[in-house]
Amino acid sequence: MLFLSIGFYLIVRGQGAEKLIPPQAVTVFSINNTDLLQKVSIDEWITYDFMEEIHQELFDKSTDNKTVKDAGLDFDKRLSLFYGKTSSYELTGFTFGIKDQSALFKVFDDFEEVPSNFPGVNVYQSLFNNLLIDQNNGLLIRVEPTESFLNQQTDSLWYDRGNLSPFYSMDEDEYMEEEELELEDAQKSLLEKNYFELRDSLQFEFQKKYYAEVLNSLLVQKKSLYSNDSTFRELLTHASAGVFYLDNSRNIDRSKNLWYLKTVLPSLYLDVQELYEGNIITGDLILKESAIQFDLKAAYSEPLGSIYSEMNRAKFDKNIAPFIRANQPAYFSYTINLQSAYEKAFEVLVPILSKAKDPEISFNLLMLKLGNALVNKEALFDAYKGSLFVTFNGIQKVKTRKITFFYDEQTFEYGERETEAEEDMPIFTLGFSTRRQDIPEMILEHLSQVTSKFEKKSDYWIYQKAIFDAAPVFLINAKGMFLLTNDQDLAENHREGYGTEALSKRTIANLKKSGTIAGYANLQEVALKFPSDFLEPSQRQLMEFLRNKTGSITIKSGKTTLSSTSLHVNYLYNDAEKSGKHFLDLLNTLYLLTK
Amino acid sequence: MNKFLILLFGTSLLLGSCIEIIDDLSINMDGSGVFKYTINLSSSKIKVNSILALDSFNGKKVPKIEEIETKIGEFKLLLEKEKGINSVQTEFNKVDFIVKISVNFSRIDDLQTGIKSVIVQLDPSSNIHQEESTWIGWDAKTLQRIVPKIIEERIKADTQTDDELLKMGSYTCISRLPKSIQHSSNPQCKLNPAKTAAMLRVNTFDMKLNPGLLEHSLTLSP
Repeated sequence: MLFLSIGFYLIVRGQGAEKLIPPQAVTVFSINNTDLLQKVSIDEWITYDFMEEIHQELFDKSTDNKTVKDAGLDFDKRLSLFYGKTSSYELTGFTFGIKDQSALFKVFDDFEEVPSNFPGVNVYQSLFNNLLIDQNNGLLIRVEPTESFLNQQTDSLWYDRGNLSPFYSMDEDEYMEEEELELEDAQKSLLEKNYFELRDSLQFEFQKKYYAEVLNSLLVQKKSLYSNDSTFRELLTHASAGVFYLDNSRNIDRSKNLWYLKTVLPSLYLDVQELYEGNIITGDLILKESAIQFDLKAAYSEPLGSIYSEMNRAKFDKNIAPFIRANQPAYFSYTINLQSAYEKAFEVLVPILSKAKDPEISFNLLMLKLGNALVNKEALFDAYKGSLFVTFNGIQKVKTRKITFFYDEQTFEYGERETEAEEDMPIFTLGFSTRRQDIPEMILEHLSQVTSKFEKKSDYWIYQKAIFDAAPVFLINAKGMFLLTNDQDLAENHREGYGTEALSKRTIANLKKSGTIAGYANLQEVALKFPSDFLEPSQRQLMEFLRNKTGSITIKSGKTTLSSTSLHVNYLYNDAEKSGKHFLDLLNTLYLLTK
Repeated sequence: MNKFLILLFGTSLLLGSCIEIIDDLSINMDGSGVFKYTINLSSSKIKVNSILALDSFNGKKVPKIEEIETKIGEFKLLLEKEKGINSVQTEFNKVDFIVKISVNFSRIDDLQTGIKSVIVQLDPSSNIHQEESTWIGWDAKTLQRIVPKIIEERIKADTQTDDELLKMGSYTCISRLPKSIQHSSNPQCKLNPAKTAAMLRVNTFDMKLNPGLLEHSLTLSP
């Protein structure tokens, strides 16, 4: 009996909250038990974007000076955030272990218990969220129809009822007399909903429908992401501080690109879909002393893997190294074997496309085959081999022209004249290696005949007023490299490379080991120098994360096989005592990048 | 007038830019005259172009070039209809970002009332107070000029622009009078040799610290 009790206890303890993650989830971040995270205050937690969905529950005085530990959460269990999207609804939420329910409801104090249709599961609802408690595991979930789906359904019903555009009606009202409007109101059936009332009703109904659908699959059919996906199950056995899961084969945004095939050529869609079968990206976030290592692994089908393997059969191009300064705030290089990848892709895709009975695809296939037979592939892939790099060189003053007003001292009349000016500008260099320098040169020669803005200066070119009709871009075609930059110093003084100021031999040796992708960013320098005002709000959030950070990020790709490829990101920081905060910062960045 | 500038460009374009403004008033004894206003953002061409490429900047909508052109056109048409306004000319250099406006008026009050009325027509939500729309006073003996409250508040609130950029920007106030000037209340005010015109120029950094720098009154010789 004792053994039975112990066994039962272990089963209950062993059942992690992650088993409550619905099968519709596509992205999951799962945080392992760690003392570091328990010390982060709730008020700090709720500043993160991944907590956005439950902000409403936590933004009140009940969270003052409390840590996550005080909220009754069980840190022997994982805390998992998930996100999923189908063609008609989105779901977000998180699962967690519960140690003390009364403490939990001091934080989630807006929830009220509602009758449950699921034996053993207590259901609570607030205005925005649903909380389900199964023994000592909690699931906070929100299911919403997607905006595009909701609009489509509302429009469909609205117009089917013989209505005019709701926006047209509003415009019409402006031209109607008061009496006409009153008459129209009197004739209107009070039971008939206007467009927005109809939309609200549909939203409510769809919300109920899809919420029931999600819970039915999870709690009645007992299907969860955990039970459905062996990769996810294996991932949760990792001892790292956090794990990341993204099922790209179910990523609806990617599927959208294939909608034409799905609707018009379903058999071809299935073949193409097969290529993406098993395309799951998983990652481990490993907390080290003053560092967080993020190891990413992308798994894919064998046909896709065969293309990637060929593509990644390339080494860091040593021609690039002289053009990267050792103290550059950030640089990134991407080296692939484009010719091998092309040949493999041709070999894999042509049989798939050949099955299509569609005349348009058949014609395109013929063009592809003719191109393959007639184009000088050697020249093409010599012109662009497949290795490129980008550097962020900080902010520099660039020369521009401005209009200044000059005054006649006798009359104070004024006139305009154009003078030289200087403005701050972020400086970038983009370059790729080429064996055929005559090809870019031929293009530039041609362009210089078309417009006087292209000017040849000794052995480089200037494209005047290329950026915002003000600043020039320099094009350098030398040393087996073709460079595009707005860095005047590079164009005028370092066309052969930076010499002793370039990357050290040790760094180059490390980069050579990196494989396809290699990158480095000095966080503070990038955050301080990059003009984030000019970024879109979502990109700006990422830059905000970098602000006030010290340390660096390095990125390198690992081994590529027929079934997977890996990528390693290392985030080094100086203030080790804030490891938990850094960890959540990085998690938040990943959430923003993948949502 | 300055409310109009903000309406025209949106605060976003003015923020963080090196701006040069010329506020040029010629007045006759009967109170009629010509008012010219020039805004020059050409020193910040790259920045303005970068901002224009965005949908929003610092949480505010960024107008498109076409919208700015349309607003200028609307401003011209509406102001021409105002009482006491004889002729309105506008010019927009969209390469260098320079806007010029020239208005002929019968009375100073017509000019200020007309501009206020157009601003309200273009943006009914604009809460323009009477004192904000009066930045010039004229009684045939003395001309009084101040910085409108709206631009004073705007420059004070601008935390985006660094001090160096503000020091490079300027506000130039030129007054041309029908008789010689006997006295200027502001020692920084420069008179031409004939003493019929006065020019007061301050950089936008000093203006931010002390908006009163541009205040002055010019008294005519009897």
